[in-house]
Amino acid sequence: MSGQTTGRSEHDIARDRLSAFIDGALTAAEAAHVEAHLTGCPACRAELSQLRATVTLVREVEAVQVPDGFAAAVRGRLEQLSATTPRSTWPRWRLALPRAGWTWKTTAAAASLALVAVFAVNLAREMVPSTRGDRLSSRNARVNEGFREGAERDSAVRGRLEAPLAAPGSKVGQSDERSAQQVPSAGEPAPFRRVIRTGQVALEVEKFDVAARRLLAIAEAAGGFVADSSYADEGGTPRGTFVLRVPAGHFGEVVRQVEGLGVVQRRQIHGQDVTEEFIDVEARVRNLERQEARLLTFMDRATKIADLMAVQNEVTRVRGEIERLTGRLRFLTNRVDLATIQAEVSQKPKKTPGGFWDFDQTIARIQAAFLNTVRELLGVTEGIAAFAAAVLPLVVLGALAWGLLRRSQRRADRVA
Amino acid sequence: MAVGERELIARSCTGDLDAFEELVRAHQAHIYNLTYRLTGNHEDASDAAQDAFVRAFQALSRFRQEAAFSTWLYRIATNAALDLVRRRPAVPPVELPVDHPAPNDPEAEVHRREVSRRVHAAVGQLPVEYRTVVVLRDLQGLAYDQIAKILDIPVGTVRSRLSRGRDALKVLLTDLVTAEG
Repeated sequence: MSGQTTGRSEHDIARDRLSAFIDGALTAAEAAHVEAHLTGCPACRAELSQLRATVTLVREVEAVQVPDGFAAAVRGRLEQLSATTPRSTWPRWRLALPRAGWTWKTTAAAASLALVAVFAVNLAREMVPSTRGDRLSSRNARVNEGFREGAERDSAVRGRLEAPLAAPGSKVGQSDERSAQQVPSAGEPAPFRRVIRTGQVALEVEKFDVAARRLLAIAEAAGGFVADSSYADEGGTPRGTFVLRVPAGHFGEVVRQVEGLGVVQRRQIHGQDVTEEFIDVEARVRNLERQEARLLTFMDRATKIADLMAVQNEVTRVRGEIERLTGRLRFLTNRVDLATIQAEVSQKPKKTPGGFWDFDQTIARIQAAFLNTVRELLGVTEGIAAFAAAVLPLVVLGALAWGLLRRSQRRADRVA
Repeated sequence: MAVGERELIARSCTGDLDAFEELVRAHQAHIYNLTYRLTGNHEDASDAAQDAFVRAFQALSRFRQEAAFSTWLYRIATNAALDLVRRRPAVPPVELPVDHPAPNDPEAEVHRREVSRRVHAAVGQLPVEYRTVVVLRDLQGLAYDQIAKILDIPVGTVRSRLSRGRDALKVLLTDLVTAEG
């Protein structure tokens, strides 16, 4: 109580600033003022220490854990959103309309602009026959051929590869024959491309269970298998991830079949060329095998125990290295032979039963109606133009005749 | 870090959900704690935080790099949480989760948890305006000018609201304050 001698208003000001004072958020002058007041005001000192204790209490409260699967839940919502509104810019644009305060004039201008654009596009399409559809399908065909070719090459390679790899731990005596076999292959004109193919497809399907069963069937029909699958049911829309491993030759076909199960929302095809690594590892294996054979002959000739031990150790090291590299080769071969397709399947949310409005259909209808009118208008214009052309000589003749008539009349007037 | 984040933002703008999920993971702890303290319970906190990230994703193209991404997120999350609080007010505070690591000193642990619970309840009792600044300042550790930006109010207002909020907390937590200090 006695501390309030510095004056009531000054005390209040200082008291109000205590909170910011704790944070060091006052200007130098303000802070100095508070400090000066504190020295002479026990009440404010007590207040300050209590406030500090409160702030400390609050700051010491432990952070809470984010619930498990939070990020996944956010993602789920976003995916659902993008699924229900395929054109993400569309609703925002529609919302922007009234906000921007468009008058009927601008609206009409925009509408006519859009119509002209539609018309222009269609005109262009009509003028250049057989553009989009044909070109696309031929490109697809080429891609598929590519898949098939690659597959044939791959299987040819596999045949050759599997021979030496079949018995990696077999007797060393064969290694010379093996390398003899391999040498000419290195001299072949173009090395076979070995590509690890992976695909990722996100799908929305009508019925999750049906799609899951079909995925299994597709994998098995293509001579592959489902390597991994997981399933979750969030809010009545089941979703799951399936990892299909299929022979590389069937990759394109399987991707297409998988995509046929529903509406594709995302698709990623990836090819990793491991030809270089293949060649490198194969060469290293050959060298090591030769080295091993040589070491074994040393071992036969060794007389001293110490020498024998040294050679034995070296043989063990080389063998280990060979095992490691052939393991790598087998892994690569497996990856190359069996392409990986990850399918993320989600069931269509029931909110929009079958889509109550077919946007594309409407656009097509509008375009057709518009084009019809334009065609009619053009027809009329054409008629008018043709008529004008037909009439033009007559008009010229008429004008001439009229001019002559006027002149002769004037002459007649003058004469009169 | 900032470069990586900028790239993630750019990728998210094109609809790359993987990139955005990374952003969510990077910021979810702050955002969730913010919405938890503002709404007072886990259910609303989760709703608000999810709403915030969904809104952020939708508005990402409008995000200007001039502000820090985290500040921008805070702003969206604060608004999302306050929307919820205003829509369903007066939710009784819920107990903190009990899945804490095994305490070394059970008695101190119990005390600490009790303090946490009391502080959480007290923060929840503050008027929304005060609660927001107290949470942003003392639980999220943001600077005054950041808070001003997030709430779109002058720094002076942040200062006075914080002062009043802390005063109220001091009264609500009197017994703890005197016991500790």
